[in-house]
Amino acid sequence: MNTAEHLKIEDLHTYFYSNVKRAFIHSVNGVSLTVNKGETLGIVGESGSGKSISMLSTMGLINAAPGVLQGEVTLHTKQGSESLLKGLDQFVKIDIQDKRIISVKKDLNAWNKQVENNMKHIRGKEISMIFQNPKAAMNPYETIGKQIVEMVLLHTELRNKHEAKEKAVYWLERVKIDSPQWRFDNHPFGLSGGMCQRAMVAMALSSEPSLLIADEPTTGLDATIQSKIIDLLAELQQELGITMVLISHDISVISRLSDNIAVMYSGTVMEQGPAKAVLDVNSDKTHPYTQALLSSVPEEHNLLANGHLKSIDGEVPDTIDIPAGCRFYARCKMKHSGIEKQCHHENPPFQEISPGHRVRCWLRIN
Amino acid sequence: MNTHQQTGDTWLSPVQSLAHKLNLDSPWVKHKLDFVMPMGVTIIRELLLALALLFGVSLVVFTILYAAPGDSFSLLLSGERSASATEEVAQSLGFSNSWFGQYSTWLINILHGDLGTSIRTGQSVFENVVSATINTLNLTLAAMLVTLIIAYPIAIYTSVRSATPLNGPLTIFAYVISALPLFWLAYIGIFVSTNVFDYFPLGIGLGVEDDMEIMQFLLPVLILGIGSGTVSEVVRFLKLEISRVLEEEYIRTAKAKGASIWRHGFKEGLLLPTSQIISSKIPFFLGGAIIVEQVFNWPGMGRMAWQAAQDRDFPVIMGIALAAAILVRLGSLVHRMIYIIVNPRASHE
Repeated sequence: MNTAEHLKIEDLHTYFYSNVKRAFIHSVNGVSLTVNKGETLGIVGESGSGKSISMLSTMGLINAAPGVLQGEVTLHTKQGSESLLKGLDQFVKIDIQDKRIISVKKDLNAWNKQVENNMKHIRGKEISMIFQNPKAAMNPYETIGKQIVEMVLLHTELRNKHEAKEKAVYWLERVKIDSPQWRFDNHPFGLSGGMCQRAMVAMALSSEPSLLIADEPTTGLDATIQSKIIDLLAELQQELGITMVLISHDISVISRLSDNIAVMYSGTVMEQGPAKAVLDVNSDKTHPYTQALLSSVPEEHNLLANGHLKSIDGEVPDTIDIPAGCRFYARCKMKHSGIEKQCHHENPPFQEISPGHRVRCWLRIN
Repeated sequence: MNTHQQTGDTWLSPVQSLAHKLNLDSPWVKHKLDFVMPMGVTIIRELLLALALLFGVSLVVFTILYAAPGDSFSLLLSGERSASATEEVAQSLGFSNSWFGQYSTWLINILHGDLGTSIRTGQSVFENVVSATINTLNLTLAAMLVTLIIAYPIAIYTSVRSATPLNGPLTIFAYVISALPLFWLAYIGIFVSTNVFDYFPLGIGLGVEDDMEIMQFLLPVLILGIGSGTVSEVVRFLKLEISRVLEEEYIRTAKAKGASIWRHGFKEGLLLPTSQIISSKIPFFLGGAIIVEQVFNWPGMGRMAWQAAQDRDFPVIMGIALAAAILVRLGSLVHRMIYIIVNPRASHE
């Protein structure tokens, strides 16, 4: 297997500044991820765990101005390596006195300009994205065909509208939309959710990117359609050999596609490793959070005595005041008296327990 | 037709399936059908609505005029005030009939295309109202253009660049000029143009006589455009719409594609708000036109209505009321049309 790095995220921090609370919301707090060429990285975690935000930060797509965006994101392309976050920190000025934040000032216009500059040859051309809720994520005022043609004309060699249309129809056919030459003239509202998501996949792939980021591509679709979309993505990934980052809160979706899996919780990666190792239900090496996620998948052995599905008690903590100890401490079912003090007061390191498999848990280190 | 496996999530709109049955497989035909049918339906519905509205307006205005004190013929009697003379004139003008008699006579005449003649001048109401309406349209449309030209840059600049030092002053500027009273602004305009530019800017019959000079047109237009009090409203509305649209998910997709967000946001963020604001502000501009036309002696609807109200010239008042209602309806019709053209989803609602 080719293991050249494709996208490397190092120590990414995305903090939003809350004016009311005069504090940072640490949405993404020191995330490091590596995606190898031709592989699929699945990022799983509950809502608010920072999985989407970390990918949106990578693409420079965060609308609400983040207070801080730090870290290194390197994309390896045919032309060489590109640093995607370069030069951004110079536009933020934070005034801290006595450990209290007095003000956060940001030159938003210069920041945006720098982002556009960094991303000029990346967005669409190198990295494509698909989003959840395709009917809102595709322009409702344009036909899907026009939107795909736009992508083709922007990022491929084709300059002729007629050829671009042929290409768009080809891609619509490729994602198994029937009678694509008809569907070409449909607006997103004229398609069902599943078809619209297929069209979006076609659009994302039509620029022949090297990396596809799928941000919750199945959320909001019927279960049967979800499964078909996942099959489609798996098939296309096989055929085209592109690198993929798949984000989902549904670990069963992640497990169907991923070579590597990162489990995120409260803005950090709790566990990362080969899919096989992370998803191993019988393993005593994996993180308690991963195990809790796996045991809330609707399968027979996960049912409680009354027939209900197991769930993870408690809620994702807010990311303003981060506890000193393990972030999962409050909800962890596996903490025991021997180790509890350490869990409560010290943040566990991200320890490699077997080649390529890292876990952030005191249980697995000692 | 290719024979792909049925994906299970296929859906044809009624129009598409009709086209399919008729073997009109060409996307072009389907496209046109999808487009033309809702358009026709909208036009017919708007026209029917307009007819009902016109009837309502005429009824209300007529009733108010009937109940209002004063009459339109005292003036014609030129000093002769004997009871018999008054009675005679009232009789000849049809004023001695009951409310219903008068209204039904007027309505029947209307249905014959006859708006009657002005009591004061004896001229055809229809001709006068049409020429006045055209003059007013010139004035109000040009004034709207002025409003938009002032409001657009402010709205776009402040909504896109949220944190510049110019932001506050520009917004305050928009509010201040919206707060200037129209009549005051009009006289200031005349004062400045006569004293500084040595030019007397009174309209002397645009459309009626063709020797109107550019200043005579420009000054009233500028005054109405600035002073109609809508600049700040347009700015606020546009700002709201632009920033709302820029937050839409499909704009994020456009960014992720590397495409222009303005190209994608144009229809919902600029075109639709513009057409909506123009159509909804027509009544305001017509109201403002009454003052401006009065001050600048502009031969439009506003001045004509004002004069007719003073003279109790009922046929003219009725004609102008109808013309104003038609203009307002027309604005809304144009807006609906643009909405359907831009947003095909509307035809399925």
